[in-house]
Amino acid sequence: MRRFIITVLLALVAVVAVSGAVLAGTGGGSSVTQPRLERSLSANFANLYADQAKLLGHTGITPASLNAKAMCDKGGAVEDNIGPGSNWNCLVSWTDPNNPMPLEGYGKFEVQVHSNGCYTAGGPSRLVGFQTITDAKGNEVTNPVYEFDGCFDPKGDNTPTGTQFPSLLNVTTTTLVPSADRKISLQLSCGTGSTGCQGTVAAKAGDTDLGTVPVDLPEEQTANLHFPTPVPAGADSVTFTITTTKGTGSKGPVTETSLDMPPS
Amino acid sequence: MTSTDVKPDETTSAATRPARPGFGAALRWETRKLRAQLRTKALLVGAVLTPIAVVVIVHSQARPPKDTLFGRFATENGFAMALLLLGFASQWVLPLLTAIVAGDIFASEDQHGTWKTVLTRSISRSKLFWAKTVVATVFALVALVLLAASTIASSLLIVGHQPLTGLSGQTIHARAALELVSASWASMALPMVGFTCLALLFSVWSRNSAVGIAAPVVIGLIMQLVGALGGIETLRPYLLSTPFEAWHGLLASPQFTGPLQESVITSAGWSVVCLVAAFLILRRRDITGD
Repeated sequence: MRRFIITVLLALVAVVAVSGAVLAGTGGGSSVTQPRLERSLSANFANLYADQAKLLGHTGITPASLNAKAMCDKGGAVEDNIGPGSNWNCLVSWTDPNNPMPLEGYGKFEVQVHSNGCYTAGGPSRLVGFQTITDAKGNEVTNPVYEFDGCFDPKGDNTPTGTQFPSLLNVTTTTLVPSADRKISLQLSCGTGSTGCQGTVAAKAGDTDLGTVPVDLPEEQTANLHFPTPVPAGADSVTFTITTTKGTGSKGPVTETSLDMPPS
Repeated sequence: MTSTDVKPDETTSAATRPARPGFGAALRWETRKLRAQLRTKALLVGAVLTPIAVVVIVHSQARPPKDTLFGRFATENGFAMALLLLGFASQWVLPLLTAIVAGDIFASEDQHGTWKTVLTRSISRSKLFWAKTVVATVFALVALVLLAASTIASSLLIVGHQPLTGLSGQTIHARAALELVSASWASMALPMVGFTCLALLFSVWSRNSAVGIAAPVVIGLIMQLVGALGGIETLRPYLLSTPFEAWHGLLASPQFTGPLQESVITSAGWSVVCLVAAFLILRRRDITGD
């Protein structure tokens, strides 16, 4: 038995060595790539969204009429868009007269991709609805696009689809917390997208200009902007004007948002 | 008891000395040995009855098992149920099913100390080797057919035969879905033969039934783990667990059959290597010294 165990161990070592050699020889490339996922996800989504429209009783929607396009990204700007993982994000745009796209033009899907080319995608509920929907007959049914599975050909077309969407620059601060000298800061996040976010944020409290701060963020990153001028006593809110040159704000290239000052 | 009286099939051999029994006789003996075992019957009965129980249990769940492919629809669609069970069976049930017979078929001769009796009195090693190989392979295929038929039939009868949503979101109508589900189950045959040969190799090599049965299952699980890791996907085509996933392409639109073609090569490669290794080990073994 001991001889047998030694033999098994030697065999395992040999297997590891051989597989290492194979890996070194082939370069370790993955069949899970951005173009394959984009093609599969957009087609899969279009079919399922047409099913959902049928359930809801919306007419005139076919997979082709949706013209669904996807742009996928793995792990933000710091990671290559290749290989399996649960950190794939796909931006998908489509055309449905009953349900227009938000201003940035897409919805974000979180996708978990396995090494065998199969994936599970979760849709943005504000665009596709929640897990169950009420169909045209009044029954509660499973929403086909809330979460769905698919598989793509690991040897399928790998030419880039060319679909690109701008990153969405969002304010993540919900309440202003001024420092002891009444200076404020604003947290921004730059979403998945092909561009990253660039631009400026100008802050105003009443008539007082609090300064203009530049933003330059790669996709899927956040930043804290500090405004140099203190908020005058008595001001009860601050208005921020976000101007984007790369990426987009939630209301287009120029987005205004206002946050209340805490009572002093 | 007629099989022992069977005349040799060979007409070419010299009639002067008592002729040794042919391959056909060896096949019949091995089949009879297998049929006499309780575990063989238990496995085949289990292959028919277990899927029915599993289908009933999964069907009665309030929440579908969404973490496995097709689990999302399994409680409301019979074809999805049959594919969910296919994915589950291919993880370790199919390797185990064949290994229980193939992993034991050579080692049991060691266990019972019957090599000398079998080989010195009646039959050549290579004939015995091929007879055992054929019997183990046929058993694997019979078990697969029973398991598949029982799974598909109970899924359709208990859950129903609604149109299936495929892996590209396309709707597959019942008739086409039945064909695709059957084809998917059929695609398990080649890797299952591969695992049979792996179990035969371990049976010959280890002379121990427990090793012969457990090793292929453990190796299968390790290969699945390796195949699921990121960064080393170039290894996937060489793993015997990959052919178990080749059916995904059948359920996509447009269909892709590249993985199925690769699975033929992978399964055949593993089968041939394991069989040749097992044959060489058995031929060089010193039976009389045992």
